Amino acid sequence: MNVISFLIGMTAVVSGICVVGLRNPLFSAFALVVNLLAVAGLYASLDAHFLAVSQVVVYAGAIMVLVLFVLMLLNLKSESGRRLGFVRCATALVVGCMVVMSALPPILAHFSGMSSSTVSDNMMSSVGTVQAIGRELYTKYVAQFELASLVLLIGIVGAVMLAKRKNVELAPRPGGLVGGSK
Amino acid sequence: MSSVLTYVGLSMVLFVIGAVGVCLRRNAIVVFMCIEMMLNAVNLAFVAFSKLHGNLDGQVAVFFVMVIAAAESAIGLAIILSVFRNIESVETTDAGQLKW
Repeated sequence: MNVISFLIGMTAVVSGICVVGLRNPLFSAFALVVNLLAVAGLYASLDAHFLAVSQVVVYAGAIMVLVLFVLMLLNLKSESGRRLGFVRCATALVVGCMVVMSALPPILAHFSGMSSSTVSDNMMSSVGTVQAIGRELYTKYVAQFELASLVLLIGIVGAVMLAKRKNVELAPRPGGLVGGSK
Repeated sequence: MSSVLTYVGLSMVLFVIGAVGVCLRRNAIVVFMCIEMMLNAVNLAFVAFSKLHGNLDGQVAVFFVMVIAAAESAIGLAIILSVFRNIESVETTDAGQLKW
């Protein structure tokens, strides 16, 4: 991990704290955009080129545009008045750390049980270019790939069903589309 | 190897920040964004371990997580929108009733 990726990692952590700490949801959303872009940079530094690009396009592009669209649509006020108490913050931190601690022993066992010689010789073969990821996706994971497209289809239909207004008038008004009969 | 361990540590830090946000914040959209951040932390760990092991299975897993996250964000924001239509608020503490 060189200096640049260390700085990118610090950017990710600081912007992540900003997502949680900022009062206005709009500022949180912009901090999350910075966070997602920083994680995309980390992917690039880990030789996962395809994932870095699709992180920028899918997460920082599509999903965050959707989140910002809903935020603007709802016209929210920031969480004012009620300050976050110290006890509440401490409890949340303890809960979060406990979640991670539960995953820590297998990870450490994994690292301690692994000799460094077996790692270094196959280090070079894992460059995640579009070609390599595409070959994996369309040979080894083709069933899961098709299933993912089905999940996306169900997601689209479900989103339309949930967000649809119940009693919207679809019939055109007698005055036509312009409607303003004087 | 220590480099990969640094990435895994960074992923843990991001996951804790996301989990703290889910516990702390009341705005449902911010909670949603914190969940996205936790997913990203796990993705970072996947990519780091993929680099460590020298195969691409972890990166394919990240691709599928991205697909599921896209579908989940569409559904989740639609749910938040319809909750807002019912109770005029997206605060998680206000959505206390089970039936409208």
